[in-house]
Amino acid sequence: MNDKNCPPNSRQRVAGVLRRMLSRQESVVFVVLIFEILLFSAIGRNFLAPDNVRNIVRHSVEIGLLALVMTPIILTGGIDLSVGSMMGLCAVAFGMLWGEAHFAPWLAACAAVAIGTAGGAINAGLITRLGLPPLIVTLGTFSLFRGLAEALTGGSKSFTDFPDSFLSLGNSLAFGVPVQAWVLVVVSLFVWGLVHRTTAGRAFRAIGFAPEGARYAGIPVGKRIAFAYTLAGAVAGLAAVIFVSRVGEARANAGTGYELAAITAVVLGGTSIFGGTGSVYGTLLGVASVAVLSNGLSRILSISDISRELSGMLTGALLLVALAGGALTKALAERPHRSKPADPVNSESAGRKEK
Amino acid sequence: MKSTMPIIETASPILLRKPIYQGSSARPHTRHLFAILAALLAFSGCDRKTETAGGTKNQLTIALLPKSKGNQFFLTVEKGARQAADEIGAKLLFDGPTDNDPAKQNEIIENWISLGVDAIAAASQNKGGISLPLKKARAKGVTVVTYDSDANDEARSFFINQATPKSIGETLMDSAAKLCGEEGEFAIITGTLTAGNLNTWRGFIEARLAEKYPRMKLVATKPCDDDKGKAQQEAANLISAYPSLKCIMAITSPAVPGAAEAVKQAGKAGMVKVLGLGLPSENRAYVKEGVTQAVILWNLCDLGYLTVKAAAAVKNGTLKPGATTFDAGRLGNLKVEGDNILLGAPIIFTSENIDQYQF
Repeated sequence: MNDKNCPPNSRQRVAGVLRRMLSRQESVVFVVLIFEILLFSAIGRNFLAPDNVRNIVRHSVEIGLLALVMTPIILTGGIDLSVGSMMGLCAVAFGMLWGEAHFAPWLAACAAVAIGTAGGAINAGLITRLGLPPLIVTLGTFSLFRGLAEALTGGSKSFTDFPDSFLSLGNSLAFGVPVQAWVLVVVSLFVWGLVHRTTAGRAFRAIGFAPEGARYAGIPVGKRIAFAYTLAGAVAGLAAVIFVSRVGEARANAGTGYELAAITAVVLGGTSIFGGTGSVYGTLLGVASVAVLSNGLSRILSISDISRELSGMLTGALLLVALAGGALTKALAERPHRSKPADPVNSESAGRKEK
Repeated sequence: MKSTMPIIETASPILLRKPIYQGSSARPHTRHLFAILAALLAFSGCDRKTETAGGTKNQLTIALLPKSKGNQFFLTVEKGARQAADEIGAKLLFDGPTDNDPAKQNEIIENWISLGVDAIAAASQNKGGISLPLKKARAKGVTVVTYDSDANDEARSFFINQATPKSIGETLMDSAAKLCGEEGEFAIITGTLTAGNLNTWRGFIEARLAEKYPRMKLVATKPCDDDKGKAQQEAANLISAYPSLKCIMAITSPAVPGAAEAVKQAGKAGMVKVLGLGLPSENRAYVKEGVTQAVILWNLCDLGYLTVKAAAAVKNGTLKPGATTFDAGRLGNLKVEGDNILLGAPIIFTSENIDQYQF
């Protein structure tokens, strides 16, 4: 079959392509997303209306940003539980700088991102210098940042009445598309380039596969990991500013639960929680699936009153089904093909032969 | 498979000459990603006709937003609202945040706008923040009214006020003064520091205090996030921090049983008086035991009923700005002051009359 002397015919090539496609988690999620879109446009009310699509985009930008920067972190085999709390802290900092210190909104926003970066650097320092496990470090900063945000506001103060020019960031359109969507596009391109087109991205995966091996291969493991966590903090600050602009209020509880939603999206999209494999494309698909699911349920009039409760339940179910489905198709795809076991060298060259 | 991805010539040492893919040699299906993104962007950019959420022809869809879904206050309002919706043949949607989160209120309103509802009646947790989506709703032709807690003036046509803030504040202060013999220290437990209605009432309470009760002192005002557990904790803290505290005034309904429980557990029932704006059903046991002396409220079912009737009337054009009265079905003719529709006077529930009310 797959033999150096017998190049595969077109039918075998297609079968090979299909097998490789189906063995990827991203394909499973892609199919799920298409299914969701078709389902909700059929049974939901006004699902494909431009207003509603804009809502889907608007409500998912903050989690999308967090999921994007969570991807390099999970690729390295780490995790960051503190990004949601970081959002809360940056939102409060933004509110205080604008409301009490009377900074201009854009200046307060830059300061919020800077504070996010500093928070990310704290995570990075503790993980790389002291060698503490990321789960424990970020669990600690999860409480620390949220607690700090609540202490600064006495648990109840919030800042509101922002100028319209600032609120337009979260609520208006640029070229017919919600403004914050462009921010998401820019950050997506940046993170995609980082993960899939630079040596740093390759390093993330290598570190996830085998940290010691990566170190022996000459990869600056500490620097790469530190960069990933610091970037996450900075983008969490950005997400906080967008969140405040969208809801018109800066409060300590901003971003509660967002870290788990981000991790769900990343893992749904095919990134292994142990690190080493994953893609930004998969993460974006994961974010889209969850956002479409929760919005689509609210379009079904008969259950719209309990749609948010249902969407929480179904998101969990979706994650489990998608992971199980992905593992199943992968196992099926990697079964030995007829008489000969899968030959990695020859099947690769068979794939590349096409023009 | 044809290579359509450009190979990036290294301008700097960190860029790869050729993309590396892990595992199998299949490349990520970025073409599909661009297709989805482009489709979503295209959909959000173009203008298409939207259907409305009305079930049958001419059936109104009215959406009711509470401060939080689990709050008995709002569940009772919903009951009255459903009565009115059934009376006028409208469909009622009821949804709110399960926790006390104003951001979720905004999201729910935005979902309703795109669902195509005819009217939205909202109780706002954050006056400034909620005005954003409410203004958007008005711009799309959705009727917006507020009840219980107001939003900014330009964000709604009418505010259904349960009683005038002045009468609420004065009734609370007068009752507290009566219980304390017009002298001593008392404390207020409020919901959040951003809810418009609570802040307005506090203003009138403090004005009445300054005007009529010089021998009484307000020692603290604490928020409890509209949560009974937090209210209990705040009350317990107040009792231990101010040993000569004579009265706790809880001006949000989850806080009244919370404060009562704290007083009961501290063994100070009768020594520290408890009163507040609460539901008879939630406070019946405490009132009967003598832990809570007075519970003040208005008929919540009527509030819900009035809210839905008013929303439908504004949508139909029967209630216009500048009206001075409003015919509210079984509630009769009600006064309209400016853009406030008034339900009536507050009712004081004590151990004598609390059994007459079942909500």
